[in-house]
Amino acid sequence: MKSSLALRTWAILWKDLLIELRTKQSFSAMVFFAALVLFLFGFAIGPDTATLSRLGGGLLWIAIAFTGMLSLGRTFQSEEVAGGLDGLRMYPGEIRAIYLGKLLANFSMLVVLEVVLVPVAAVLLQLEPWGRFPLFVGITLLGTFGFSVIGTFYASLTQHLRARELMLPLLLFPALVPVFLGAVNGTTLALAGDPLDRIGGWIRLLISFDIIFFVVCVWIYPLVLEE
Amino acid sequence: MGDSSVAVRLDKISKRLGWTWALREIGLEVERGSSVVLIGPNGAGKTTLLRLVATLLKPTTGTGEVMGFSLQEDADAIRYRTGLLSAHGHLYGDLNALENLRFAAWMGGVSVDEARLRAALAKVGLDHVSKQRAREFSSGMQKRLAFATLLMRRLDLVLLDEPYASLDSDGIRMVDDFVDEWRAGGGTVLLATHRRGLAVRKADRVAVLQAGRLHRYCRPDELEPADLDPQPVVPAG
Repeated sequence: MKSSLALRTWAILWKDLLIELRTKQSFSAMVFFAALVLFLFGFAIGPDTATLSRLGGGLLWIAIAFTGMLSLGRTFQSEEVAGGLDGLRMYPGEIRAIYLGKLLANFSMLVVLEVVLVPVAAVLLQLEPWGRFPLFVGITLLGTFGFSVIGTFYASLTQHLRARELMLPLLLFPALVPVFLGAVNGTTLALAGDPLDRIGGWIRLLISFDIIFFVVCVWIYPLVLEE
Repeated sequence: MGDSSVAVRLDKISKRLGWTWALREIGLEVERGSSVVLIGPNGAGKTTLLRLVATLLKPTTGTGEVMGFSLQEDADAIRYRTGLLSAHGHLYGDLNALENLRFAAWMGGVSVDEARLRAALAKVGLDHVSKQRAREFSSGMQKRLAFATLLMRRLDLVLLDEPYASLDSDGIRMVDDFVDEWRAGGGTVLLATHRRGLAVRKADRVAVLQAGRLHRYCRPDELEPADLDPQPVVPAG
């Protein structure tokens, strides 16, 4: 029987989330770190509502990006502890399932983080995401998906490097520029209002880059993993 | 597809890892349903050879077939039919025994019910600790659990890397029984170990590796005493 791509993807997602749920190694650190970043920004800017409203989208994405790096850096940790990626590579079937499972695990972790982070940001930065909430959620999910797509791919690329903690952000952040551009501008417009109706362009940019990066990363992933 | 009576055929296979030749011009044929033991000192190339047969490494030169499929061209077809038990075991310490087996089954493309998982655990003597996390197991118990992961799939060829390591006498008997049962079911076993005396008992043929080269490939009774003694490691070059 051919190994189903869906079953193998599910297996990796299930395994990674179950291990995280048991150990809470990444998530606790991520929540603490994100709240700290938001607190420091809120403290530095002060109670200037106009400035906070203008910068809120960017500050939120800085917190998500920095915190997401913690999650991405640990993408393959469970495999390293178990003796390396050979354990996954020796199974038959579509090797892209490894990428898809890891991508979904990273995306799920970040979405759960954002569920915790957005109310904290709303309080600390005096944000008002509730007015155009569906739009805000949609843009945040698109940005998070793009971040996870590229981040998981680069985490695979750098997993064997000795200085991977340094190399991962160095390689990743330039590649993420289009995603951050769309996510920060879209989020800011969703939070602060959009009288000129410019948000559609940023959403289209996010959707386009998400699709392009997803297709390219899935397509070339076997070249990264196979010898 | 090659001769159906041959499980593994390697023809002048060499493998270079970095600047070092880990394997040099290995020629080997393993019949289906047989048990072949690779022996040799540390650094002789045993693990590299197993990883190559498992398609985790590609040969630098030479050609090879596993179950009639090309090592270079048909890696996926070979992985469907081949299972590798590495020295690490590839277990997840924060999953319990049942969850490790379920993961192995799913990754092999098999949806299994809990009864089958428990039967596999019972076969390796771990049914009483099915809900215990693998990190809490002794190294011998982890080895048993790793064996159970192989039972989750229908395999034609199993590659065992140092299967006797960390095992007590019961564990050693379990490995022997596993090899016997596998062969009785028509499966082929390729086993690498430095515990020569233990392994040779179960071998149809023995391959002696030294410094990346196949020094001897013979029946166990044709081995010379020097083949069973530890050899100093000589870097392959």
